[in-house]
Amino acid sequence: MRVRLLPYLFKQALSNILSNRVVHAIGLGTMVVSLLIFGTFLLLFVNLNAWIQGWGHSMSMSVYLNDDISVAQRAEITSFIGNLAEAEIKRFISKDAALRDLRSVLGSQAGVLEGLSDNPLPASFEVAFTDMDGRGTDLKGIKQALQDMDGVEEVQYSEEWLHRFEGLMNIIRLVGIVIGGLLCLGILFIVTNTIKLTIYSRREEIEILKLVGATDWFVKIPYLFEGMIQGILSGVFALVILYLGYFLISTKKMYFLGLAGLDFVFIPYQYTLLIILISVSLGLLGCFIAVGRFFDI
Amino acid sequence: MIQLFHLFKNFGPSIALGDLNLRINEGEFVFVTGPSGAGKTTLLRLIFGAEIPTRGHILINGVNLSRISRLKLDLLRRKIGFVFQDFKLLPKKTVFENVALALEVTGEHPSFIRKRTHQTLKLVGLAEKEKAYPLQLSGGEQQRVAIARAIVKDPLILLADEPTGNLDSDLTKDIMILFRSIHLKGTTVVIATHSRELLEDTAQRTVFLHNGRIVGKK
Repeated sequence: MRVRLLPYLFKQALSNILSNRVVHAIGLGTMVVSLLIFGTFLLLFVNLNAWIQGWGHSMSMSVYLNDDISVAQRAEITSFIGNLAEAEIKRFISKDAALRDLRSVLGSQAGVLEGLSDNPLPASFEVAFTDMDGRGTDLKGIKQALQDMDGVEEVQYSEEWLHRFEGLMNIIRLVGIVIGGLLCLGILFIVTNTIKLTIYSRREEIEILKLVGATDWFVKIPYLFEGMIQGILSGVFALVILYLGYFLISTKKMYFLGLAGLDFVFIPYQYTLLIILISVSLGLLGCFIAVGRFFDI
Repeated sequence: MIQLFHLFKNFGPSIALGDLNLRINEGEFVFVTGPSGAGKTTLLRLIFGAEIPTRGHILINGVNLSRISRLKLDLLRRKIGFVFQDFKLLPKKTVFENVALALEVTGEHPSFIRKRTHQTLKLVGLAEKEKAYPLQLSGGEQQRVAIARAIVKDPLILLADEPTGNLDSDLTKDIMILFRSIHLKGTTVVIATHSRELLEDTAQRTVFLHNGRIVGKK
């Protein structure tokens, strides 16, 4: 196969697409929809992941102290937390401060606290964790170590939430792989059949090409170009539509589970390249399957 | 040179060709004739490699068609021109594009393809119609387009299957003059025909087929 033939064969591919534009448009549309579903899933996954990472970064722990804690015990706890590389004491909340905070939270219903003879709330340290990814830091271990210290009544942090979301992310990842795999099979089926239809519509021309001495590759390459063009176009169209959708949504601040406003980001460029790569690969693979058994002349 | 050795071709239970032995020398002009169903078209398709023999061997310039790869067969076909009985022209391509196709598959330079296609269309008298589509042409003109496509690549061998089957006697003469001029350039020409008109005035070698067997030679 001479390299000089490639521009000619590429023109042939464009001409084939134009002469079978309805078939190609239907195939392209279906591929765009499939890739769009896949892209939307990726977009949601990327953002959920980012939000959970964000929560991990802003993780805090409350260390409740016994009422009869000694100064030395408190100093030991302070020193323990201070020695943790990723943790810092955000503030110390005394028993009085805790009651004040509760009053302000209760607002107009703070009257229920009037009947109390004694302040039942413990003093506590509020510990903030910095530079952690929510996974690498052994929060359980820290909690256990603190709980074993004298003067500590209880330690709490939002571990259940974190674990629940990590579990959710794993499920989402699994569902993503399954959906992605099924969509890939669907796309492969669509491309294969689109190319089969165009080959079928040009079978007379293929027969004549073979009879005048065309090699198999001379006949096949335009179809491979067709699959590649279809793959590139569907990938680009899907990404453009996905970006437009993202742009419309991202102008509004996202709120989720009553938490603070969340940033909605577009999929990283590596993922956009992945979508293009997947669509082109499936386009080419579909063509290889379609052209494989059409050349027995 | 074309050599056929004990060639058999069956289509299911029916025998299209049986124990055919034939030698056609380089630069020879040969007619293959016989009634419909005698095996003329099958013989030409076997020489062209479009059919595989049931038994026997076909040698083209010493190359055994049964023992060459698909790619080599494709490349060999570039040296053989074939004029089909039903023309096999592409209706959505112009006359020029139909003829140029035979050169495009070889990867020739576009300027050479343009020049050579123009020359060939001029040779068959269709220079004025190169932009027309096959269905806008008469039967005779379509036949000449098919011949132009077969000879545009200067083949070593030209095979023609009933090339004058649909033509009146004037056009038949024109086409035969064209074949003779191609033959004079050194091309081996094999024409399958059942036309007595073609054979009456010819001094060329003629092979008579009947029920897939050679029943006479002239």
